[in-house]
Amino acid sequence: MNNSTEKAEQAVTIDISGYDVATAEIRSEAKRLLTEKIVDAVVGYQAGRRKGSAVPVIITDPAQAEKLLFSPACVNNLSIYLTKAKKEIRAKGKLAVVAKGCDLRALAGLVGESQFKREEVVIIGVSCAGVHRAGIQPGEPLTNSTIAKKCRECSVHIPDEADLVVGKLPPLPDLPPKEKELMEKLDAMTPALRWEFWKEQFTRCIRCLACRQVCPFCYCEQCLCDRGRPQAVDTSPRPSGNMGWHIVRAMHLAGRCAGCAECERVCPMDIPLNLLNRKMAEELKELYHYEAGMKPVEKGPLTSYDEKDDQSFIK
Amino acid sequence: MALTITEENLRKLVDRLVKDGARVVGPKVAGEMTVYEPLTSGAELAPGTLPRRSAKEAFFPLSETILSFQKGKEGLKVEDVDTNAFPRTVLLGALPCDAAAPQVMDAVFSWDYKDEFYLERRRRTVIVGLSCTSADDSCFCTLVGLAPTDTMGSDLFLTPLAGGGYSCQVVSDRGKEFLAGYPELFAEAATVTPVPPAEPEGTPVDLAKVKLWLEEHFEDEIWEEVADRCVGCGACAFLCPACHCFDIVDEGTEQSGSRRKNWDACAFSKFTNHASGHNPRDVQNKRYRNRFMHKFKYYDDKFGKTLCTGCGRCIRYCPVGIDIKGILEEIGKKALSTKDTKGHEENHHG
Repeated sequence: MNNSTEKAEQAVTIDISGYDVATAEIRSEAKRLLTEKIVDAVVGYQAGRRKGSAVPVIITDPAQAEKLLFSPACVNNLSIYLTKAKKEIRAKGKLAVVAKGCDLRALAGLVGESQFKREEVVIIGVSCAGVHRAGIQPGEPLTNSTIAKKCRECSVHIPDEADLVVGKLPPLPDLPPKEKELMEKLDAMTPALRWEFWKEQFTRCIRCLACRQVCPFCYCEQCLCDRGRPQAVDTSPRPSGNMGWHIVRAMHLAGRCAGCAECERVCPMDIPLNLLNRKMAEELKELYHYEAGMKPVEKGPLTSYDEKDDQSFIK
Repeated sequence: MALTITEENLRKLVDRLVKDGARVVGPKVAGEMTVYEPLTSGAELAPGTLPRRSAKEAFFPLSETILSFQKGKEGLKVEDVDTNAFPRTVLLGALPCDAAAPQVMDAVFSWDYKDEFYLERRRRTVIVGLSCTSADDSCFCTLVGLAPTDTMGSDLFLTPLAGGGYSCQVVSDRGKEFLAGYPELFAEAATVTPVPPAEPEGTPVDLAKVKLWLEEHFEDEIWEEVADRCVGCGACAFLCPACHCFDIVDEGTEQSGSRRKNWDACAFSKFTNHASGHNPRDVQNKRYRNRFMHKFKYYDDKFGKTLCTGCGRCIRYCPVGIDIKGILEEIGKKALSTKDTKGHEENHHG
């Protein structure tokens, strides 16, 4: 699925000087929030052992605020730590979270789904020019070849709805979309070819469930796909169960997925999972004029019923 | 005198083996990654890059049928898997961290219960290891007692040579026997110049002291520090050459189906969930602690071996950057000071 534009594209380095500003501001804000006991813990990023890496961290001591940072390696969507899937984090008390624009969409969705109340969480938003794609050696500069696909089409560089927005957004280069192109290629396929494409992709799935575990919306305490009696989906990492699992997941996320693409980033088998979620999101937009995660909505189109709903597909 | 084989002959060897009906598992390019997979020809062999998944699948597949059942007129028919039908296998081009792992896992698969599926595949396999010539910042074989030139687990061991081709070291009788079948593909050289082996960076650790430290620190703040962020997926265990936990499931319909043995992972919350609903590892950092303890304490307690070969896959592919090398180094440091200050609590962490 590599395309020719990738080869033709000139090298473009993205200015990340604003990330140092963001780092300083995150530190002072985290320190203030913890010192003034406005929050009990801050979920942010800190440096990992590997040079240039960043990993999620939960700090409770104001003295640790100096460890926090923002860099192109801050790929994680930290909103997962606020869901009921991470009870031990929530048990720490009131939380603040560092969020990029894309992460903020997940937070809005989670508020809509009553995972927490907006006022229960302090959101430190970061003006973000982009982060690394999967498989990039930490510390590499942020360029058009190292940037995540989602960042090329980002419409939420500045998370306006956050309690505080830190950092400074540089002038951004115009990067041609890649995922959109892939979507178009898939859309242009015959159903049989598309089926072949996904069959080949899902054959690689090893059912490590990294896609589920990093998803802000996969917080179910009993996942349907873990059920044994009765078994809804084969748990064996074999084509039929794999296909079942990914389709169930895509359907369950339709109208909820806020597009962070974490599932795709973490897939150790490089399955382009966000294509499925994006397709569902496009359908929702077309059929219901609905976009998930733009603002907290209690019931999305697929969890509510209205007589005016489109029923043309019922035959 | 050193035994050598050219790149071309190595590929010919694969072709010959495939032709003779052997299953040749080796590194192969699949899309944008390299994986260990059965090769259909020598041309597919892509040696030297650490494949995305480990080589354990040659013995312990992701999913395998261990029996099948069918309901018919004569009642229920249960059929065993004929392990004698397992193919003769050559695992070729496994880097030392992958080649060594089966020898570590042999202990658990032949302990209280002899796992015929694993063991039969092991019996039928020759491992041709390959010296490692490139390391990144996630590699740490040297910290767990191995080396980029380690022949542990290999029957034959190849070392890339500066001018191309490989030198071939005979490590075991099985290797010697295998070699005897293909003498014309190998040559003798008076001197050889190996490509320098990889040098993983890292602070050396004393694994015996680490184990002692772990014994005394089942409860410790380090587990929350390093693993509160763990999201509970199985990427680490599934990519690991030495993790070997599995689940057994029956799948199919009322009429027919099979019992399968599938990879499992201690990071999954369901892994220790009791039928009562109680889960002794109730939070994620306890599950990660188990992973670490299993590798550096429990397995050593039981079998005298470390359950980690330092391949670094769990570091590279952890969604949240959990870094077993960093944790091992940190505990290694703590373990040294623990000994010095034993009984003098106030001097800890000085």
